[in-house]
Amino acid sequence: MRKAVGILAAVGLTLGLLAGCGSSSNESSSKEPASSGTGTTKTDNTQTSGTTKQNVTLTYMASQDWIKDSEMQLAKKFEEQTGIHIDFQIVPADQYQNLLKVKLNSKEAPDIFGGQDGKFDLGPLYDVEKNAVDLTAEEWTKRENKLFLEQATWNDKVYALTVWDPTYDYYVVYNKQIFDKLGLKVPTTYSEFLAVCEAIKQSGVTPIYEPVSDGWHHVLWFPSIGPKFEEANPGLVDKLNNNELKVADVPIMEQALTQFNELVKKGYMGESYFSNTFADTEKNMASGKFAMTVHNLGLPQTIEAAFPDTKADQFGYFPIPLVDNQLMNIAPAAPSKFIYSGSKHIEEAKKYFQFLTQQENLQYFLDNEPRFLSLDFEGINGHFTPEQQKFFDTYGAKQGSGLQMTAKYVNPQWMDIGKDMSAMISGAMEPKDILKNMDKRREEQAKAAKDSAWQ
Amino acid sequence: MNNKTYPYYFSLGAMLLYVLLLVIPGVAGIAYAFTDWNSYDSAVHFIGLDNFRKVFSGENMYVSFIKNTLIFTIATIVLKTVIGFFLALLVNKGVRFRNFHRAVMFMPAVVPMLIVGLIFKSVLHPDTGLLNEFLLTIGLGFLAQHWLTDLNFAFKSIIGVDVWKGAGYIMVILLAGLQSIPKDYDEAAEIDGAGYWRRIWNITIPLLMPALTVTLVLNMLYGLKVFDTVYVLTNGGPGYATEVLFTGVFKEFSMGRYGLGTALSTVLFVFMTIIGYFVVKVMSREEDSH
Repeated sequence: MRKAVGILAAVGLTLGLLAGCGSSSNESSSKEPASSGTGTTKTDNTQTSGTTKQNVTLTYMASQDWIKDSEMQLAKKFEEQTGIHIDFQIVPADQYQNLLKVKLNSKEAPDIFGGQDGKFDLGPLYDVEKNAVDLTAEEWTKRENKLFLEQATWNDKVYALTVWDPTYDYYVVYNKQIFDKLGLKVPTTYSEFLAVCEAIKQSGVTPIYEPVSDGWHHVLWFPSIGPKFEEANPGLVDKLNNNELKVADVPIMEQALTQFNELVKKGYMGESYFSNTFADTEKNMASGKFAMTVHNLGLPQTIEAAFPDTKADQFGYFPIPLVDNQLMNIAPAAPSKFIYSGSKHIEEAKKYFQFLTQQENLQYFLDNEPRFLSLDFEGINGHFTPEQQKFFDTYGAKQGSGLQMTAKYVNPQWMDIGKDMSAMISGAMEPKDILKNMDKRREEQAKAAKDSAWQ
Repeated sequence: MNNKTYPYYFSLGAMLLYVLLLVIPGVAGIAYAFTDWNSYDSAVHFIGLDNFRKVFSGENMYVSFIKNTLIFTIATIVLKTVIGFFLALLVNKGVRFRNFHRAVMFMPAVVPMLIVGLIFKSVLHPDTGLLNEFLLTIGLGFLAQHWLTDLNFAFKSIIGVDVWKGAGYIMVILLAGLQSIPKDYDEAAEIDGAGYWRRIWNITIPLLMPALTVTLVLNMLYGLKVFDTVYVLTNGGPGYATEVLFTGVFKEFSMGRYGLGTALSTVLFVFMTIIGYFVVKVMSREEDSH
């Protein structure tokens, strides 16, 4: 009898132990990357000095490549003027979205957090009414480009500051020297693009540099050509937003994914695309081992800045040519800055935003950021190279925005589409499955957001 | 009669604390697995087994997450135990500087997983990584692989890195076990003419059983709960090929679908409880026989 009780007790205790493991690991797994991804969180250090308004540290978390060097310079100047220190926490792009949502959900978000904005997404993606501070009354909202402001607005309230390049979208940047040497012309259709890739591959150069490891970049190939999808199916976006059509039923979308897969399968993206990183783009494009990459228009300048032997004017641009696309995509939604509603330093964070948006600071920011050609604020002087001007002249007449900006519930699943596309090029998924998954995730989000079109 | 056993009520205090601090929160957590608790809606509704239906329906690939977790657990248990055992034999006796060797082999266990992940991400890089460069240099270039991104190798590489890190730890436990075995048995068997392997099989391993049981339990719990290794090396990729249960739970949680995330971890809880029950049974049977 006693032995039985003893064993029962032992079993009970062990089950208790295991139960503890089962549930607590849920928690620990969510916290682990928080400490690993961002290093230290310094908010607590400064609480004691809150009354003096000096010596405050604002934590600012953002994805890799969202915080430019010139902003860091400005932050130093800001600290000199006000004593408010900005602690930048930069997180690898493929982990950022998860990490941010975990932090927001567990109410441990930094004072300022970066986020890709979008007029349909601020609610579903960040729940801005709960998590972000209303910035509508700020003076700089009057000077910001209206298209951009719209993307940072949710229920008529502005929630984010966007300082970004209005010409900043992704196109094919190609090495003109390689094209000239092989006697190649800029392709205008997908079949011409295939022929160009084949010729480059035969010459021993990898046609396309594609950094899949970041998780977001290879997705650009697909939603960015949204204007082409719309052109082929007039009214497409409205039908998608009214839930009258599923993306899985749009043949041109499946075709675009199939063609992307074909480019990979034919070896036009080399072999190491899964390990390539976005941060190495300049190095690899300067090396001459790659002929093309999908990037924004400022890439040639950053290549020349890092590798002075490679001149910016040896690169040209054309739109992503999947499904014979010739339309220029533009993107008024961009990485933006939000102030966390639970922050203890909301006023200081607002001050930082006011500082960044002073005319001379904006101009300084633009002049010291080689990837940017202009800014989304009035009275800032942009500068275009002849090659960029030529690109606008050639393709600028027909413009549109990518699917992530026009169709609801696409942008929040960007990284999920990335995962699906990775699965496709590794052979574990078909193009049609990606579209079906997209529909499924759109439905889930729409229902969670109580969208009337999905009820 | 049997004065060795204390009365059961001696354990009541500890039991109470355990129940309060671990069992109740654990069970309360499980209750959420039957709800649609999510970040979009403050109300929580009971939805029965819907979450579990989603987990096992196959359309969300959770079944493959579970499969990966089990493969990982079994593979790391076998590899860590076998390698740890032979390392322990090597440094048990008859080696010069054996404390130095022991320290070197234990070293990986001390390094944080995040650092190990970053190091191995660079070591396993297909173009610039140390491993492929090394293979090329010694003329074995055909063995070079896309270790972390090829579907055929990614998960094996993760297991390999984890074994690299964990085998030293197991070695230390088994080493302690080895040193508690009296030398007399070994010497007697040697005089009787038993060879080395025979002695290992018939003397060392049976007497090492308690230590092996401990390492089995540790490895198993660790394997089923694996998260960091996968997260830093591949983050579940390429595609979903190397996702395990807890990277799945993490993603559900970050998407704000707490209910489904809890359901996934409940599945793991059930696995652990069943396995834990049998392990406890085996262990208590052994104690009885002593």
